[in-house]
Amino acid sequence: MSAEARRFIAYGFASVHDAMAAESALKTAGVAVVAIPSPSALGELCGIALRVAPSDADAATAVLRRAGLPPLARAEFDDI
Amino acid sequence: MTDVPAPRSVVYLDHSATSWPKPPEVVEAVVGAMTLSGANPGRGAYAMALAASRLVFESRRACADLLGVPDSRDLAFVSGCTEACNLMLKGLLAPGDRVVVSSMEHNAISRPLHALSLLGVRVHVVQADETGRVHADSFERAVRAEPTRALVCQHASNVTGAIQPIADLADIAHENAALLLVDGAQAVGHLDVDLSVLQVDAYAASGHKGLLGPQGVGILYLRPGLDAGELLQGGTGGGSSEEESQPRGRPERYEAGTPNTPGIAGLGAAARLLIAHGAEWHAEEQAVFRELKEGLSAIRGVTVFGPAIDEQCVPTLSLVSDRLDCDRIAFELDRRYAIAVRSGLHCAPWAHRTLGTLETGAVRFGVGHGTTLEDVRAAVAALTDLLA
Repeated sequence: MSAEARRFIAYGFASVHDAMAAESALKTAGVAVVAIPSPSALGELCGIALRVAPSDADAATAVLRRAGLPPLARAEFDDI
Repeated sequence: MTDVPAPRSVVYLDHSATSWPKPPEVVEAVVGAMTLSGANPGRGAYAMALAASRLVFESRRACADLLGVPDSRDLAFVSGCTEACNLMLKGLLAPGDRVVVSSMEHNAISRPLHALSLLGVRVHVVQADETGRVHADSFERAVRAEPTRALVCQHASNVTGAIQPIADLADIAHENAALLLVDGAQAVGHLDVDLSVLQVDAYAASGHKGLLGPQGVGILYLRPGLDAGELLQGGTGGGSSEEESQPRGRPERYEAGTPNTPGIAGLGAAARLLIAHGAEWHAEEQAVFRELKEGLSAIRGVTVFGPAIDEQCVPTLSLVSDRLDCDRIAFELDRRYAIAVRSGLHCAPWAHRTLGTLETGAVRFGVGHGTTLEDVRAAVAALTDLLA
């Protein structure tokens, strides 16, 4: 496993609806994305966040900006 | 009796109340939501919960596509059109506000307005004509008479099928710094409703009538930026659960509590069908309805309420007979001929007062998707026979 594969970027959104819309936009754009329980580091203990590989972060950010769904929070984690 | 066609199991002409039967795709979507994705949407992030969340999201997007709403966040799923009407009225009106409303409204509008009037909202009623149609110039005169917070009008009548001039009312409202709030229960699914064209401020829709979805689900559209107060506070899943106040983001602000996921799934499936086939189905409905209206109008002693045959309307009409009371007609049509229609006031006493049928009620016939020429010919023959 590469060093990058052990880390991931998590994005938080204003609502579950926005998270689902972001997931749909990322999948449509071909960005690999996984829905996860919102990590506390994003400032929320409830809800759904999205995780992408660090190598996809720039592409994901661009897709989300174009979709009008900029993440409210971003954090980087080590996978387990 | 020999001229009356043998009915199939039932000739269902109560589509104005609830469409039936539902398309198989709708039933399958409801069952799928209860089996394959039966978890709580918008809360957990395990696979089945995410499937439910995606299902709600995709259904909302399908409904937005159907109704011409660019951002699906502006559509809230509620329990039905009655809740949607309550939300738009109670969420936007305050004591001291003045409202101008048509005389054809359903109790889903008139009763919340009555409740609001007890709190100090002033309600001015604009009379419709004898076909149930309201006229934009009548609204305009009423709105210009005094500062007005909102115009409230149905899109189509649940008694006569008359279509109201919503686009004109939107112009009048906005020229006078007022809102236009619309009850679209009888219009969606029977007309091509494009909210981006109509320019309404709020639009309430029923899921289980022309939209062909299950009972127990409806839609409220609020235009972007319109700050309507919510009816309920409670859990919304994501967002700041630790906060005491209801989140203000859409659609969660208006969807406290676990949603009706099976109903929403069915409504989403129905919306996708209407996007694909709506224009064709509307044309079929209109052709069948025209034959029904012409046939019933020709029966001796029957008075049909509603626009003239050549005028556009949704496929609903009501009638009275000089031979038999309305309740007897409905009962006998069911008992003798297995024809399902509804008598009474149709939860619209204002409309029946307008038509002069508040004391008698009327018998309502509603056509919808799946109603055939055979069905309406059977209904005309049955009523002819019954009143002979």
